[in-house]
Amino acid sequence: MIIAAFATESALHEAAVELRRDRACRVETYGAAPPSGMGTSSILPLVMLGGGMVGGVGGFGMQVYATTLAYPQDIGGRPDFSWPSYIPASFELAVMGAILAGIIGYFIAVRLPRLYDPVDEAGSMQDVMTGGHVAVVRGADNGQVRDTLARHGALRIEEIGP
Amino acid sequence: MKGEAGAGMEDDPFIFPNETPHSLTEHICATTLHEGEAGWTPLWWWLGLGFALSLLGMGVISVAWLFYAGLGIWGIDWPVAWGFDILNYVWWIAIASGGTFISALFFLLRAPWRTSLNRLAESLTLCAALCAAIFPILHLGRPRFFYWLFPYPNTMGLWAQFRSPLVWDFFAILAYVLCSIVFWYFGLLPDLATLRDRAQKRWQRVFYGVLALGFRGSGQQWRHYQPVYGVMAALMAPLVVSVHSIVGMDFAGGATPGWHSTQFPPFFVFGAALSGFAIVLMAVIPLRPAMGLQPYITSRHINILGCLLLTSSLCVAYAYVMDVFSTYYGPDSADRVMFAFRLHGLYAPIYWGTIVLNIVFPQLLWWRTVRLNQPVIWLICLGVLIGMWLERFQIIVSSLARTQLLSAWGQYTPTVWEWSLLAGSIGLFLTTFLLLVRFMPMLAMAEMRTMLGNRP
Repeated sequence: MIIAAFATESALHEAAVELRRDRACRVETYGAAPPSGMGTSSILPLVMLGGGMVGGVGGFGMQVYATTLAYPQDIGGRPDFSWPSYIPASFELAVMGAILAGIIGYFIAVRLPRLYDPVDEAGSMQDVMTGGHVAVVRGADNGQVRDTLARHGALRIEEIGP
Repeated sequence: MKGEAGAGMEDDPFIFPNETPHSLTEHICATTLHEGEAGWTPLWWWLGLGFALSLLGMGVISVAWLFYAGLGIWGIDWPVAWGFDILNYVWWIAIASGGTFISALFFLLRAPWRTSLNRLAESLTLCAALCAAIFPILHLGRPRFFYWLFPYPNTMGLWAQFRSPLVWDFFAILAYVLCSIVFWYFGLLPDLATLRDRAQKRWQRVFYGVLALGFRGSGQQWRHYQPVYGVMAALMAPLVVSVHSIVGMDFAGGATPGWHSTQFPPFFVFGAALSGFAIVLMAVIPLRPAMGLQPYITSRHINILGCLLLTSSLCVAYAYVMDVFSTYYGPDSADRVMFAFRLHGLYAPIYWGTIVLNIVFPQLLWWRTVRLNQPVIWLICLGVLIGMWLERFQIIVSSLARTQLLSAWGQYTPTVWEWSLLAGSIGLFLTTFLLLVRFMPMLAMAEMRTMLGNRP
């Protein structure tokens, strides 16, 4: 794979756009801040909605089961199925379910934890989170990729691994 | 005039104009990693930690004695069966709220000033929520069985009593503490990666590297990060309101004079906002010069927090007025007897202290000169925190001391073990906060870099 560092985000963006025209080319950009103009299309909000519904409906169902079937109790003359009392705990469990689904889903979606990645071997990657702009290119003709990167003003081009 | 001199404070920027994403990253990393000119483990930090640990030690001794001797070492008894335990719990959980209001609610409102404060505020939330969480466990007669509140399959065939606000409270605390940790950590992830890449010492690279979990700032990581953080913020805002509403329902659910009121949930949320903003201001004012954060947390932030403190103080004032109105307009004579006891009984100084510290003193914030005067604001915030503690005392103790039956009247005097436990909880709060200040970035670098990058 080829790893290239750029001086600006716009140079990185232009290089990535051009490289992505080659369908065989897989390009990933790296930066310390979200790329400007980046789409935020993600399935994770839906995953969080699902987690919230599981937490909320599951919590409500658990309380219904506990108070009507497993352990009915007369509490101040209220009916066994006194549903308004179930709302607070159900809400808390819904929020907890959604937030846990969010962080677990995020880790699965972006494959974290991943303490080592072959891209770490490149010196350019050391500067990414402190303000660098890096492109990682896989699966394309290295000569052509190098030419394209150089044309877009790459400061440093490294080749790592197979 | 600008900045600290302050005549034109509204014109102050949220971040000094000469700051760039690179200078911000360098400054915060150097401070957190203790490097170069900004590197620091100054004397005040060690002194603060020593003071905090001594308080924490008192708390540990108090808890150890409590576990050995039981609840009899406290001053609680019938009729006042709730004392410092619940009082301190409510006080701490309210203090915890300020960070969530700032980081979640104002994130949703896209308030530009929030970016400089959210990490600090969330860190305060974590420390205060931790302090709050221990009190309900300690106040149980058999604290080793605290997990019985959790609905788990058990051979006894027992379930929690889901109609009780106290069980709702268990779920609320659990959700709030857990979600606060996740929200804080998720927001911290890019900054941990920055520290990992910036660290020179091996132990720092390993420490921050493990915590960063391999976040590398890839496009894919950022693409999913933004919406998840946004949804988390959208959930945290109603969560914090629900937590304090449920804390209010702990009281409103009881048929006790002064408690049985529909206004208690919003009343507690108002109080939570007031003490939450106060603790954030109290932390921000000394940390700005101590950590060189003036370019990023300007006097404009102090001004905004002062305005928020005043607003929440007015909300609390409204709740106090409604408390009086509903008591004297309502039909319950026991309520009126109890309220008269609050106004001029044994605990009257506590009631009037609450009014003065929570309502009267914050009115000084109407004047801009006061909002510009940081020592005065700090003292007002200290007064608010004390006032909120007094408010909890008068709500809990005076109501229980004057129930409907004259034969069941009593009073409450805290013992040295309760005072030492309060001191211990303050020690725990200060210790955890000082450790976070020392080892974690107190500014959300990734968010601020984005903000600086978009600056015209």
